[in-house]
Parts: sequence; C-alpha cells; structure tokens
Amino acid sequence: MKQKTIAFELRSSRLLVGAAALAAVFGVTAGVQSAQAQKTVTVVLSEEPEGLDGCNSNRSTVGRVAKQNIVETLTEIDPKDGSITPRLATSWSKINDTTWRFELRKGVKFHDGASLNAETASKAIARTMDSKLDCETRTKSFGDLKLSTKAVGSHTLEISANKPVPILPTRMGVVSLSSPNTSMDKLVLNPIGTGPYVFDKWTPGQEIVLKRFDGYWGKKPVVEGARYIWRSESTVRAAMVKVGEADIAPNIAVQDATDPSMDFSYPNSETTRLRIDVTRPPLNDKRVRLALEYAFDRDALRGSILSKDIEHATQIVVPSINGHNPAIKVRKYDPAEAQKLIAEAKAAGVPVDTEIEIIGRTNIYPNGTEAMEAMMAMFQAAGLKMKLRMMEVGSWLKYLSKPYDENRAPILLQAQHDNNNGDAVFSIFNKYACGGLQSSICDKNLDAMVAKAGTLSGDERRKTWQEVNRVINEDLVADVWMYHMVGYSRVGNRINFTPSISTNSELHLEDMTFK
Amino acid sequence: MAHFLGRRALHSGIALIGLILAVFFLVRLTGDPTALYLPIDASLQTRIEFAKKHGFDRPATEQFLVFLKDVSEGDLGYSLRKQRPAMELVLEAYPTTLALAGVAMTLSIVLAVIVGALAAYRPGGVFDRVGSMASLAGASAPDFWVAITGILVFAVTLRWLPTSGTGDLPYWILPIVVLMLRPFGLMVQVVRASMLGALSSAYVKTARAKGVGETAVIFVHALRNASLSVVTVAGDLTVGLINGAVIVETVFGWPGVGKLMIDSVIQRDFPTVQAAVMVTATAIFLLNILIDLLYVALDPRIRHQ
Repeated sequence: MKQKTIAFELRSSRLLVGAAALAAVFGVTAGVQSAQAQKTVTVVLSEEPEGLDGCNSNRSTVGRVAKQNIVETLTEIDPKDGSITPRLATSWSKINDTTWRFELRKGVKFHDGASLNAETASKAIARTMDSKLDCETRTKSFGDLKLSTKAVGSHTLEISANKPVPILPTRMGVVSLSSPNTSMDKLVLNPIGTGPYVFDKWTPGQEIVLKRFDGYWGKKPVVEGARYIWRSESTVRAAMVKVGEADIAPNIAVQDATDPSMDFSYPNSETTRLRIDVTRPPLNDKRVRLALEYAFDRDALRGSILSKDIEHATQIVVPSINGHNPAIKVRKYDPAEAQKLIAEAKAAGVPVDTEIEIIGRTNIYPNGTEAMEAMMAMFQAAGLKMKLRMMEVGSWLKYLSKPYDENRAPILLQAQHDNNNGDAVFSIFNKYACGGLQSSICDKNLDAMVAKAGTLSGDERRKTWQEVNRVINEDLVADVWMYHMVGYSRVGNRINFTPSISTNSELHLEDMTFK
Repeated sequence: MAHFLGRRALHSGIALIGLILAVFFLVRLTGDPTALYLPIDASLQTRIEFAKKHGFDRPATEQFLVFLKDVSEGDLGYSLRKQRPAMELVLEAYPTTLALAGVAMTLSIVLAVIVGALAAYRPGGVFDRVGSMASLAGASAPDFWVAITGILVFAVTLRWLPTSGTGDLPYWILPIVVLMLRPFGLMVQVVRASMLGALSSAYVKTARAKGVGETAVIFVHALRNASLSVVTVAGDLTVGLINGAVIVETVFGWPGVGKLMIDSVIQRDFPTVQAAVMVTATAIFLLNILIDLLYVALDPRIRHQ
C-alpha cells in the first residue's frame, strides 16, 4: 500500500510539474503582437457607438468616429476661439434676417460617387431636419428652429429659417451632410459622406474600420485607415496605448493619466455647477444663494478629488465660446461671509433651517459623488441643513427638465453642460430663459436680453451675451459655480496628435501624422 | 424519460412565460425611456413627439398587447438605441458568453476535481493546506480587482499577454483565469468535503482490500459517489456564468450578453432587455434539464424513483 501511495504521488507530482512547465513555456511564447499596421491608427473609445448615422454625429460616441472623418459639415467651428471656417461651403453671406446663401465647394464627391451640389446638399439638410428620423442634430441643436433650403445655382444654396438666425453659419457647423442615396426613412449604420475616410466595416461588439478615401477633395491625409475599438474601463484603455495595442485613448480618467510623455489634458468644454432652485425657500433669498457661493472652497477640490488642471467657472460657457465674460470674478471662499449672510436672512424671516437637497447624478464626471459630499459638508459648516441624494441618470433627468414636481424640496442640482458650438446661444436660453426647459429662474429683463442677443451678430452679440452672463452670476445668483472641466487623452509614441477642446466630441484622423 | 422531459419542458415553459410577463412590466416601472434616448437639451415638444412616435406614452397594458402581437409574428422588438432587431443583438452576443462560460467551467471542474481529490487523499497534508488556501483565496478574490491587476502585471509589466479583446489563445488566458477563480475555489472545497466522506467509506476499503490501484480508488470509485454534490454546485455556478460574465466582459471587452443586458437596463432599452432575458432564461432551463439528466446518470437511485 505504501509503495502504491508513493507511486501515485510521484505520478501526480510529475503531472503537476509538466503542467506548470507547459504553462511557463506557453506564457513565454505567447508574445503579444501589436494589432497595428504601419500606416493605420487604432483608437480605443470608452463605449461602442450606438449607430453611425451622420445626423447623429453631434453625439460624442458617433462624432469621434464619423464627424469630419466620414461626414462633413458646411462650416467648421475652430476649437481654439470658436470662429467659423469653411469646410464644404467656401463662403456664405446673409440675404436677410432669416436667409443665408452658401457657396458650396466644387469637385466634391460622396463616397458612393454622387456629387456634392446644391441639390444633394439640400436633400441632406432636409433629411437631418425631418422629424421622421430621430436625428440628434435636430433635437439637440435646432429645437423649434425649422430650416428650408433652395438651390439657386448648381453650387449655390440658400438656407432659410422660420425665425431670424444671425449665426446660421455657426449652426451649420453641426449639420453633417450624408449622400443623397442615404435612406430618408431610417437611420443608417454605414454612413456615406464626403469626408477623407470611407466607412469600411463594423463588427458589432468588436470594431469599426475606416479606410482613406482616395477621391477626397482636400489634402490627402497621412493616416491610411483607422480601427476603432472600445473598452469600458479607463485603466484598460490607458494600458492599451501604453503597450502599443492602441494609438489613442481620447478619454481616460485622471487617475490613469500618469505618464507625462503620453498623457494630455485639454479643456473639454464642459462646465460644472449646482443649479439653484430659486423658487423655493430658503433658496429664493439672494443672501442664501450668495452664502452658498462663499461657502464653497473651490481650491479644496481642485487637485484633490478633481483634476488639478480644471479652472474655476463663473458662467455656463467656456472662454473659447462667443459670449464668455472674462470680467466676472470668482467669489472667494469666505465662510465668515457665508455665515453672516445666512444670519441676516434668518433675521429677516427666511426659513434657513429648511432642509436643502443636493440632487446628484452618479458617474456624471469622475469623483462627482465625492465632490457633492465635500460641498454638502461645506454648506453644512456654513449653517445650512443639507441632504445629498445621488441618482442614476434616468431618475436625475426628472429633476433636470420641466415640468418640475410642484411638491419638490429646495434643490441644488448637480449639472454639467457642454458647449463647443461656438456661441452662447446654445446654452443660455435652455438654462436660464423663462421658457427654457432646464431653467430654474424666470426673469423678464433677462428674457428680453436673451431674445435681443439672439437677433444680433458680431461685437454687439458678444457684448450682449456677456452682459447676460453677468446678470445671471451677479444679479440673479442662479448657480453655485464649480469648474470648467478638462479631459485626459493618452496618445501613443507612434503618432503626432494634440488633443483639443473638440476631442471631447470629434477626433480628426486627417490631423494625425506618424513620427 | 420522455415523460420526465416533457414535464420539465412544460414547467419551464410556464416559468418562462411568467418571467417574460414580470420583466415586461417591471422594466417599464423604471420610467419612460424618452429622456434617455434624446439629448439632454431636447425640447419638451420633441420629447412628446418622440414618446408618441415610439408608443412610450401608451399605458403598459396597451404596450403589452402590441408586444404579444409582435411576438406572435416572430418580432421580438427593435432596439432604438442600437438600431437593430433586439433578438439579433442578443443572439450575436450569446455565443461569446457561452464560450467563456463553457471553457471556464470545464477547466474549473477538471482542476477542482483533481485538486480537491488530492487534498482529500491526505487531509492536513501540505497539498491539502496549500490547495485549501489557494481555493479559498480564489473564491474570495474580487473579480474586478483580479482582472485589472492581471492586466497591469501580465500585459503592461511583463508584456506576456494582450490587455484585452478577443482573438486567438493568448486573448483567452486572462479572462478565463479571472472567470475560473471563483468556481474553482468553491468546487475544490466541495470536492474535498465529498471525497473525505467517500474515501472513508466501506466500499473504498473493500476496493483497496481487493488490490485496486489508488488512482482508480480515488478517481473511479470514490469520485463517482462524491460527484453528485459537485454537479449541483457546478450547475449553480454555470447558471451564474451563462447569465453573463459582466465583469470579465466589461473589463476585457468581450461582447457578451451580460454587458449587453446591463447596458440595456441602464439605457432602458426594453426590447433588448426582454430578448436577453428570454434567451438566458431558455438557456438556464435547458441547463437545469441537463443537470437532472446527469443526476440520473450518476445515481441509479434517482432513476428508480
């Protein structure tokens, strides 16, 4: 028996040693091959796009693949200063308050061979504006603004709106043009545009592949093709670029941006704030609202739970957007002033002991929950009674948009707004006008200024928006301002590419070169 | 046998219908998905039009009647988010989940049987102690942490394996190892406990007295009797995996049904949730029937009953 046991154990040991050796050999020989061919780039996104239709290219998940790569716009917004530059339109002029004339670029072909001209451009714009399709460009950027088009020459197009649009060229920077052969009845998964890259294939759950378009009207890009893959975890995306499995991870978390040679921070056009419900006591008292501003130690969050590269915000638009007012000052952290204001309000009969709810949204931005917890503690220290409720996006949306619950408590809503469309008009009305879907204030004077700004152009327009932003901050105190946020991208050592404010929603392959 | 299978199929069918009913109404309790489909800045009018167009404004009972009519015509719904038929999405994702679950469970069972049996062969010995410790660690280690650490060590630092993605053998190693840890750890404990009882039983002593080799005593005589409990636990663990290995699918970018289902729930993509539940529930019912058949094969007493 003893001998049999020993023999069995020996056989077992040999088996285990053999298995271990096999595993070791396998581990050593299973070298990882880089997935990248010489002249193509691999981009690792945080999620798979829901679709790729050009009329949804304002959605960041779609835009990073399609916008200005596959489908192009008539005009383009310069991320540096918000100015408008030509793309498929070479020039434009105002005919009257509601109509603009665009001269289209000649010699431009769609990927399916159709020509870009006034007729095909008209059809593409009509498709985007058609309510039969759930196009995000229409639902997000146009609202009740209706466009109609008229070809007045082979490459001359007039676009009219149902109300004055002094910045129609800016608005056309969000309308991507798809081939006239694209279905007019349903969204497509294989977009056909005029861009420097052709949609090649989409393997659901795995990858999207683009190839360079040899018939492109513009300069031939260096990058011959692109492969888009997606990983939910920021750590994995960062690791993929680090080991050379991918060339760019346009969006990684701050805690993964640990390699200065590869990681770039960029202003991502997002502005964070707590929207104050000014209709509910004690928040209907300006002293209490000011107290919230003074009680918030903005420097405490920067560089600790939020990125060190974020900037203090004083208004809803970032500095590169037309209408940003640089003269508005950040309120300094002053807990004594906050306590004094609350005491004054209390003495005047304001019910400052009423519990105020902070409604937060989970995953709204990295460490968003921790930021709310910290702010709640600061407000409590100032003497206010606070309660924090973090919600998933579906529940949070009920608090964001009208109609609001009539029986709601006084609320501070954690919010983040993105505007890289060049002008404050895309932000202000919805957030601050009496008729704005997400507005918590209603001020007739402000409404008049907003309406006026919408009809102006040039310097007058800029100054009027700046005044609107001043009124919101200084006179109405409608928000607890937090930060203009930054994003982080990791760019591999093989390519030259500098992320910018537009990286949040677009990723131009034509701007990339190889080292 | 046919009677048994027919009865199980009937029970499963009734349970499946009940489940679909429950899922249909429960997911709609989470609210109107309009707000999640449209951009945050969409106007109220746009929202109303969208809800009307896609029937989200109708009462749940009315939506259910439409659903029944569509199902009777073989249409299980269309994913507005993915712009594709919901069942197509699920059936595309499910093979990935099945492959992960199949490989992970097969390897877990084989390794757990070997390690558990050897540990029970000499209780308290070095192998037993090391095996028990390793299995307990495996059963308790958080998947997410192991997955990320595995990537940082084996892909980023050592560069032996790819970080993530699907492909040939190297792409399988990290996901499978992560997925195996818990089933392996639990099953080693179960095998060891069952084998301890079996190895001290009279029939094993008889087998040894008759001169049967130790390998045969352990892996033929004792293991067969100990395997009923292993099948039970392995069945439960497999059910968990074919429901979707969410962590592994998410971290390693494997497009399986677990991640699809979680994303669909968060985005209120009702047709995809319904199709995914229908497919996974069917798979689980089939698996349970398979486990029943295995019981019958392993234990003649069940057959006689």
